[in-house]
Amino acid sequence: MKFACHFRSFVVCLIALFPMAKGYASPQPQPAVKAVLAAQSLLTDIVVLENNRLVAVGERGHIIWSDDGVVWQQADVPVRSNLTAVYFIDDRYGWAVGHDASIVHSADGGESWQLQQFAPELDKPLLDIVFKDTYHGLAIGAYGLLFRTQDGGQSWQSESHIELLDEDEQDYLLELKDDDPELYALELSAIFPHFNRLYRDDDLLLMVGEAGFFAISEDFGMHWEMQDAFYHGSLFDIAMLSSEHWLAVGLRGHIFLTEDEGDSWQEIVLSSQATINSIITVDDVVFLSGNAGLWATSADGGLSFSAMTAAEGRPIVNAVPYQDNMILVTELGIQILDLKKPE
Amino acid sequence: MSLNRIINKVEYALFRHRAAVLVLFVLGTLYLLFKATQIQLDAGFSKNIPLQHEYMHTYVKHEQDFGGANNILVSMCDASGDIFNANFFDSLRRTHDQLYYIPGVNRVQVRSLFSPSTRFVEVVEDGFAGGPVIPADFVPDQRGLARVKENVEKAGIVGRMVADDYSCAMINAQLLEIDPSTNERVDTIQFASTLEQEIRNQFETDDISIHIIGFAKMVGDVAEGAKGVLTFFAIAIAITAVMVFFFSGSLMLTMLPIACSLIAVIWQMGLLSVIGFGIDPMSILVPFLVFAIGVSHGVQMINSTGKRVASGMDAKTAAQSSFRKLLVPGGVALLSDTVGFLTLLTIEIGVIRELAITASLGVAVIILTNLILLPVLMSYVRFSKKYQQRAALGSPTADRVWHHLSAVATKPVAAVVLVITTLLFIAASIQSQQLKIGDLHAGAPALHEHSRYNQDTFLITDRFAITVDYINIMVETVPNACTHHDIMQRIDDFQWQMVNVPGVQSGVSLASVAKSINAGYNEGNVKWRVLPRNTQSLVQASAQVETSSGLLNRDCSVMPIMLFLEDHKAETLSRVVAEAKKLALELGDDDTRFMLASGPAGVMAATNEAVSAAQRPMMWYVYGAVIILCLLSFRSGRATAAVVIPLYVVSMMAMALMTLLQIGLTVSTLPVIALGVGIGVDYGIYIVSSMSQMLKDRVPMRQAYYEALKERGSAVLFTGVTLAIGVSTWVFSALKFQVDMGILLTFMFLVNMLGAILVLPALAAFFWPKNK
Repeated sequence: MKFACHFRSFVVCLIALFPMAKGYASPQPQPAVKAVLAAQSLLTDIVVLENNRLVAVGERGHIIWSDDGVVWQQADVPVRSNLTAVYFIDDRYGWAVGHDASIVHSADGGESWQLQQFAPELDKPLLDIVFKDTYHGLAIGAYGLLFRTQDGGQSWQSESHIELLDEDEQDYLLELKDDDPELYALELSAIFPHFNRLYRDDDLLLMVGEAGFFAISEDFGMHWEMQDAFYHGSLFDIAMLSSEHWLAVGLRGHIFLTEDEGDSWQEIVLSSQATINSIITVDDVVFLSGNAGLWATSADGGLSFSAMTAAEGRPIVNAVPYQDNMILVTELGIQILDLKKPE
Repeated sequence: MSLNRIINKVEYALFRHRAAVLVLFVLGTLYLLFKATQIQLDAGFSKNIPLQHEYMHTYVKHEQDFGGANNILVSMCDASGDIFNANFFDSLRRTHDQLYYIPGVNRVQVRSLFSPSTRFVEVVEDGFAGGPVIPADFVPDQRGLARVKENVEKAGIVGRMVADDYSCAMINAQLLEIDPSTNERVDTIQFASTLEQEIRNQFETDDISIHIIGFAKMVGDVAEGAKGVLTFFAIAIAITAVMVFFFSGSLMLTMLPIACSLIAVIWQMGLLSVIGFGIDPMSILVPFLVFAIGVSHGVQMINSTGKRVASGMDAKTAAQSSFRKLLVPGGVALLSDTVGFLTLLTIEIGVIRELAITASLGVAVIILTNLILLPVLMSYVRFSKKYQQRAALGSPTADRVWHHLSAVATKPVAAVVLVITTLLFIAASIQSQQLKIGDLHAGAPALHEHSRYNQDTFLITDRFAITVDYINIMVETVPNACTHHDIMQRIDDFQWQMVNVPGVQSGVSLASVAKSINAGYNEGNVKWRVLPRNTQSLVQASAQVETSSGLLNRDCSVMPIMLFLEDHKAETLSRVVAEAKKLALELGDDDTRFMLASGPAGVMAATNEAVSAAQRPMMWYVYGAVIILCLLSFRSGRATAAVVIPLYVVSMMAMALMTLLQIGLTVSTLPVIALGVGIGVDYGIYIVSSMSQMLKDRVPMRQAYYEALKERGSAVLFTGVTLAIGVSTWVFSALKFQVDMGILLTFMFLVNMLGAILVLPALAAFFWPKNK
């Protein structure tokens, strides 16, 4: 676009130029394009509902569902931002989040989706979402993004939890709040680490993130308690194998195990240095999925893992057990791993 | 009549100074023979390109920054199925270096695991780490190889530089048009044989196989196969000679037309060499066609002279009278061929223009060799008494055959013939609708499926995600466009939607690479594989990519989207191009234009469109030339129609045959239809010109046709059958292209002959209703 600025319309011009100066005009949500290859595009999360329906989300607003793990349908989705996580509370109600702080909602088991939030101006992605019932949900994301809903996503409120910073940062922010409210607002939007993943056990929430970030909430995220870091790299997933027996995974093949509710952690050695993206548990077996096709299995409660390469060496972001198989979501889309016949 | 006076003068001059004429021809032939021996096979990439096509404007415009489309892929495969061993890496490095130094290779564009531009980035706790995939301190031991394997995975080059199953590694190179060290054009065929000697022969072992594909290699293989073409020419010539001997019953009369036709070929080749042309491997069949057309006219000449000798004339008078009788019909037939071929010059593809010149030159010299030299030579022949007596007896059997055959010139039989012809024409028209533009098969259609080249193509397509079949959509936009989220997003959307088009295997662009880099900046987390909306992050992501990647120019105002295709079949290309044009309208605007196209498949798409656009005009021009020359010489619309209609039916049937043989219309097959007209027009003109005087004198049609058959029919029938037998041996050729052409030409020789002796008189029966 070119603007011819005459003196008379100078002010108009300034207004017109302003969004350009920011680098983009305020974008409107665009519906995802239906694509033959949606099930082979980059997928980032997958869930299986109680009625055996699979729902997976991924890049370009792709949401696909299947009732047999073989034939996939692409749902109509009102955004084409990359989606990063999906959560279903029952057979019908589910939410997916992603870039541009997008939140979409389905009330029909993932076949159709409505837009609940689209905020490209934040320039931050949401990275995970959980619900404890059809009304109360929590979405987290980059730079400490945290949104809460009490009405099934009709409205989402942003929350900042100062208690999720270390003490120095808390002091610094409190100081700023009085002295320089503008800078305070700016810092608030950038000072938090990325919140990568939530694990919910009833009202108990475990949250891991960037640079060893780890916090616990016992009231579904109303109040948080920062935990001492046991690793300085980023953590991408955490799971409770039993009530006091937790596993956390992260960058470059790092695995940590606690047997005392997080008081002390021991590092588990893995033969691979690929970043681990997700923990999947099936009965007593623990699986890990990671970049470079990493697929690791532990039959001894996470004390030791044996690794192999799946998905042609491409990143495996997550997986769900389905019948006798494992359905993986990867850079190449859906991949099926036969659990009975380890490669 | 002035034409008669001219012919008289020419005749007088020629036969009065026979010795001088012969001396001139001998000198000319010697000189041109000398020149002809210097002719070389000549193949170039750019002459196969329709440079005036809009896609090629885009191609030429960006050739400097982004390289051409003349790619060479060298894939090295380890027999064990795993490349990670010391021996393989040593071989790969040496092959890479060898290829780098072959003259004509664009050194900047040589890419393999060993090129310094092949890098990886990885995420570590405190940020980024990266380096060349093969580190400077690389030692090919177990640890070193394991590290390279890891780097290969991190670099995301599996499927491009390393096969999907790690059984092969790829070296990618581009061939320049001009060698910068010598400033001379790169000789494609020479280059191909260098590849064979210095790459394949030197580095292929029991453990490591080498697979080379690309235009230059394909042309090289075709040229290699074309050497075998000469053997088939020799066989065809031998068969023709034996047949002519049976036909004429005289060794001398056999030698002369064959020799004159060969002299025509020598003159053609010599003249080409004189004007600085070579022979393109795809035009290698043209000299044989010249020979064939020469034989056709030569046989008419010996037939006519022989008949006159039989009737008691001496050789000189007989030759002189044959000359006078045949100069006009022969000349008209050859001139219309010449003009018809010359019209191919209007098609703006270099190689077709070359063919136009090669073929028209060849046909034009037949006028000299077979209409002038041949009768002059024959005037020296001493016919034995025995020959004269035998010839004078005639052949009552043949006359009986001609009598039966002449029945087609009566209305009841003619009606049946015309109904059958009409039905055939309708069927052929319907079938010819299926004629596809471009290559119908994967690999090189000029070569057999089991040829090394095509097997190599299949292997590479099978094991790698890339082939030489890629098309570049050039995104022409504003300077620093790679810092604009909106533009980068559109590039990414374009690429993704194109990847979803059937036939597109994968795609790559600055946008898609920047997304991966952005994920890299975010600890390798693929959830961050997006184009950042804020300018700093976007710059950070795209600035990692260097211009040597071929994904952007210096100020990123031009960014290609590379789409790798499964093959270059005509339908794949047209589907991809149609979809790209649609998306270009949807996603492009005045500032950001998605321009078609570059890359080998882009060039092919343009060529297909140019061929498709040229198809109709070419037919119009060729037929226009034939019609005008027939009208001028016969001064009769009816006679012209009687000659042209059977030709057109045969053209249509030839196109139908091409669809049945699964031959697509390409730069190399497009002129075949025109050549077919050239072959066929001779027959019709000889027969009609023989009848025209009788028709004017109101001789009954059947009678007139019977006389024409006796005078020239045997020569027509004989020529058609002889040449058809000669070319039918081509089905055994090592070159698929020659096999296809052999079948097509056999068909054209035979069916054009049938058209001239069956359909033409049937038409005449209705065109001249008063000649009862």
